[in-house]
Amino acid sequence: MPCRSGLPRNLLLRPQSVWATASSELETLRSFVTDPGDCVDLSLDLYVDLGGIAMKPFLFAAVTGAIASSAAAQDQTVEVAMHYTAEQAAPLLACFDRYEEANPGTSITYQQLSYRDYLQTVLTSRIAGQAPDIYNVYSIWAAQMVDNGVLAEMPDDLATYVRDTYAGGTVDAATIDGTLWGVPTEVSVYMLVSNMALLREAGIEEPPTTWEGLREAAEAVTTRNDQGRIETAGFAFAESSSGAGVVHPYYALTFSKGQDIYSDDYSEANLVSEASVESARQLAALVADGMTDRTVDAYDDFPAGGVGMMIMANWYESAIREGLGDRFEDVVVSQIPAGEDWRTMQYAFFMGVDSGSDVSEAAWDVVRYANSAESAAEEGGPSCVGEMMNKLGALTANDADNAALGDPDAFTAPFQEALTDRAISQPNVLQASEIEGLIAQTLDTVIAGEAEAAPAMEDLNTQVEDILFEFY
Amino acid sequence: MSRSVDERGPGAPRLAPWLFLSPLIVFAAIFLILPLGFSLYLTFTRWNPLGAPRWVGLRQFEYLFTRDAAFWDTLQNTFVVAGGLIFIGMPLSLMLAAIFARSRGRTVWRSIFYLPQVTNIVAIAYIWQFLLDDRYGLVNRGLGLIGLAGPDWLTDGTWAMVSVVVVMIWYELGKNMLVFLAAIDGLDPQIYEAAVLDGASGPRIFRSITVPMIRPAMIFVTVTSFITGMGWFALILAMTGGGPRGATDVTALYMYDMAFQDLRMGRASAAAMILFAIIAVIAVVQFRLLRERAT
Repeated sequence: MPCRSGLPRNLLLRPQSVWATASSELETLRSFVTDPGDCVDLSLDLYVDLGGIAMKPFLFAAVTGAIASSAAAQDQTVEVAMHYTAEQAAPLLACFDRYEEANPGTSITYQQLSYRDYLQTVLTSRIAGQAPDIYNVYSIWAAQMVDNGVLAEMPDDLATYVRDTYAGGTVDAATIDGTLWGVPTEVSVYMLVSNMALLREAGIEEPPTTWEGLREAAEAVTTRNDQGRIETAGFAFAESSSGAGVVHPYYALTFSKGQDIYSDDYSEANLVSEASVESARQLAALVADGMTDRTVDAYDDFPAGGVGMMIMANWYESAIREGLGDRFEDVVVSQIPAGEDWRTMQYAFFMGVDSGSDVSEAAWDVVRYANSAESAAEEGGPSCVGEMMNKLGALTANDADNAALGDPDAFTAPFQEALTDRAISQPNVLQASEIEGLIAQTLDTVIAGEAEAAPAMEDLNTQVEDILFEFY
Repeated sequence: MSRSVDERGPGAPRLAPWLFLSPLIVFAAIFLILPLGFSLYLTFTRWNPLGAPRWVGLRQFEYLFTRDAAFWDTLQNTFVVAGGLIFIGMPLSLMLAAIFARSRGRTVWRSIFYLPQVTNIVAIAYIWQFLLDDRYGLVNRGLGLIGLAGPDWLTDGTWAMVSVVVVMIWYELGKNMLVFLAAIDGLDPQIYEAAVLDGASGPRIFRSITVPMIRPAMIFVTVTSFITGMGWFALILAMTGGGPRGATDVTALYMYDMAFQDLRMGRASAAAMILFAIIAVIAVVQFRLLRERAT
């Protein structure tokens, strides 16, 4: 039997993890030593790879202990990297424990990467040959990861399961060029979120359903102090470094006008279309007409009770609850105010597998298990991922999970309903992050009144098509 | 016969110096020469770290120089920041140094002004955000109490740049003041006594004696402030993120975003080389000025 080419990646390549997961890795080590295919210089390999003098006694003891033991074999480790904290991922971690019990040959390690640094960490880890096996990919990173061969194609049976079980728009979020690359996990949808206490105070009894209605309500709600600063804003944009607080509402308005952001093959952008320019104008007019300004931030000011309306994703529920306390019952979620044909934007994360994973079969099995009813903590309950999303206050587009979870609360229900036939996936275009940065900056310039919508969007369109030309 | 220290003939290889220098050479090779060389190579490529670099010749430079208007805007912002440090920050440091050179409790003042230098830059950015917040900041709240509507410090492009420059000057003030204080301390007190005996006034003494005699320190502070202003971005990243609408986006921050957000390592490397060239020219000017002074 040939000598093994290497130890499990978490032993060889992640020295910092040795102490944290010492016991499980001892088990892994034990299995290697008792396996007939082991290298004779195992301890030396470990010593060199882990690179610390202090490790040697530990490893020696580990090897000695391992030889003396005849514990059950574990011959593969699946490493999962997600942006959730261990506390947030608790249902999933419990699920991994159950999986390990049911599959004695497999161990699973969980690595938390910060959302902000996720893609960079993935890039760095791949360069260093330390890539995790399972990713939780934000859909706008997907095109780039696929284009560079980072993601593995999923097994046909799992792809069929996803297509049969998940809402269509969410399946699109994990689909690049017609190929599905993973199982959708967390889904976010944008809707109009209104503080009805403020609206009612201003004589508005129902959340608006048209843009004109939103303008009237916003105007009625807005108040200013003696220095002319806005005290209560009728509407607010969210301030974020990515520009999502402006770009995503713009997408929702543009989709509602029946306009896609790009041509089907992504070779052209439609940012200069009438619908697109009109959406930019609509957003800008809210500032120009004094219903909001850029000093108001929906993230801070809505939970503080200082904003009447915002177009926001469901994941912000907990912050609003925390900020408003008992007044949360005044918060109403309703359609994008764009008339009967309104549409909205959704984005999703999905679990995919690294194309270079040497345990890809096991990794896909872990993905399948975590997202299917088989992993439910109790009979008839949701999958582990479904349970985790529910505890996070996030959405899942898994129909089986939604059925198992029962009726959502009044805040969540409209978001969930929008997933079925109103939500359009954020475009999975290459360089999406760069392009959305440009869109955000242009919209911000128009909204601040520093540029006219039409010429600004025309310039933007040229810049974006320059980028598209590089890749399509 | 006495034994010579080195019995080897002339021209024989001498290993000892290389042996002692080797840690430094290895360190420089790994952490300086290799990254610089790799960065230089990347300027001629298109590379996102997911795939392999692709050779594109001088296209990255061509794009930056001919098509990337934002790059020129960031260069302009960079010069504004560096200019602010020199034309406002340096005179202010000099003035404070002159005041504290003869004041009581100068050690305490020196420590207070140096404090920002030993404070975490992100903490500093957040504190200033808190102070300058347009709606809830202490500055505008204070102005509101006397019936004034303060400016939009962080959401108006011009005021955001003013805010960034003010905070950077504040941050650098203590360090530059220390340099000037050291230079002033080194001056011969007899020169001042002679000037006083001749009836020179305080401002005249400062203008005609102190300033000319601490010229090397002024050159040093000018050049280091310029280099600092050209390359520094951490405070801006944490305080405004380059916003609003790119108004405070400096070249260093722009290339950081280019590399790690847009995954354009080649173009970011080209931008870095351009910035490096500009700073190198300034460094040459520094050496020449110092050399002139020495001769």
